[in-house]
Amino acid sequence: MLPLSITAVVARNELWQNQVSSEPYECGWAKEAIVYLRALKHPVRTENVRARIEYSPDGIRWVDSGLDFALPTQADQISWIPVNHFGNWLRVAVDLPDGAAITVLVSINLKA
Amino acid sequence: MHSQTNQIAKLSRFDPMPRIITFDDFDYGFCGWGQLVGNYEQSLDAMNPSYQQHTHPQLSNLSHWDSGSHSSWDGTYALKIQTRPVAGARNVSVKRLTFRKAGPIRLELYFTFKPEATEPRLLETDVRSVGFLFDLQDPDEGGNRVMPHIRFLNAENGEHVQKWQFKRKSPPVTPVGEEGKTITHDHLAPNDWEDLPNGHQKLCYNEIPTKVNWHYLRFDFDLENMRMLEMQCNNRLFDLSQIDSMVMPAMKNLWCMLNMGFFTETDTNKRALYYIDSVCLSGDF
Repeated sequence: MLPLSITAVVARNELWQNQVSSEPYECGWAKEAIVYLRALKHPVRTENVRARIEYSPDGIRWVDSGLDFALPTQADQISWIPVNHFGNWLRVAVDLPDGAAITVLVSINLKA
Repeated sequence: MHSQTNQIAKLSRFDPMPRIITFDDFDYGFCGWGQLVGNYEQSLDAMNPSYQQHTHPQLSNLSHWDSGSHSSWDGTYALKIQTRPVAGARNVSVKRLTFRKAGPIRLELYFTFKPEATEPRLLETDVRSVGFLFDLQDPDEGGNRVMPHIRFLNAENGEHVQKWQFKRKSPPVTPVGEEGKTITHDHLAPNDWEDLPNGHQKLCYNEIPTKVNWHYLRFDFDLENMRMLEMQCNNRLFDLSQIDSMVMPAMKNLWCMLNMGFFTETDTNKRALYYIDSVCLSGDF
């Protein structure tokens, strides 16, 4: 049987403003992940704004993984980041400054 | 691993009809279960908001903050369907098939449900409901689209209700986009659920939100007459022969459709977690 590989869309057409995060995604079965964040519409004031990858031991309490990436600044632009050691939950979190906004499609490709 | 002996042992906890259409053990992956995405045309903005909230199911080992991994019925993983933490939120996972014989079919599964354990309290009234649905369509012009829906209403407005319900009133159908090819209808809207006769049932919830017990469910349906037949949950039998499904005229691209769905709703601002250990769909052909 081939190793498991799936793509989970965890945020679809969500308008992100202020302090925001994707819904918790439990994926402790996976050994590696790539998180993709696509701007579905033209972002507003996302220059120099970075999103971070967060881990959780229980899906409720979150820690900063130390991994972060720049948000897209153009419509249809995709930001991405590999995540190679995690458990048992993943999410993307970002603190957007006043007036900044981005409509996102966040997908996580996971491989066992 | 996935040996024949192991498969037979796993199947022995089901009572399938002669033909096993699909046997989904989530220790081996998602087995074709994905998220129910709403219909749209040109832009995702056209999607009904009730579908926008849906997210992808997860493979869960039922880990908890106080006790670690609970794991599944006889392995590590179960399919988890999780709502957002907003009272009334729902989520749906779906598997899309077609049928080759319009005859009796049987759905069996082992399931459980819990709220997210964000408080050190029992939380037995936080999950509003868990349920299942079929989305079916006759093979030929002039037939119908038929949607049997059943849910276990666990709690409503803080009351621990614990009863089975069905839905037969079809929701309004709304066009999507400008091309006249796509429609949407919110068949899982919170209104129009009706009680099954003698449908109260007390399910084992256990004593804290991180202790989990699994339940057996069987649902029999006849694709020839498009009628429900019978349901069993643990020790209880329910005669469904007089219970109607939602029925609407056949749609032009759904012939022989055999979709199955599992859904959950939360009654409070906590995520509802609906776990499915394994599913067996069988048919009499």
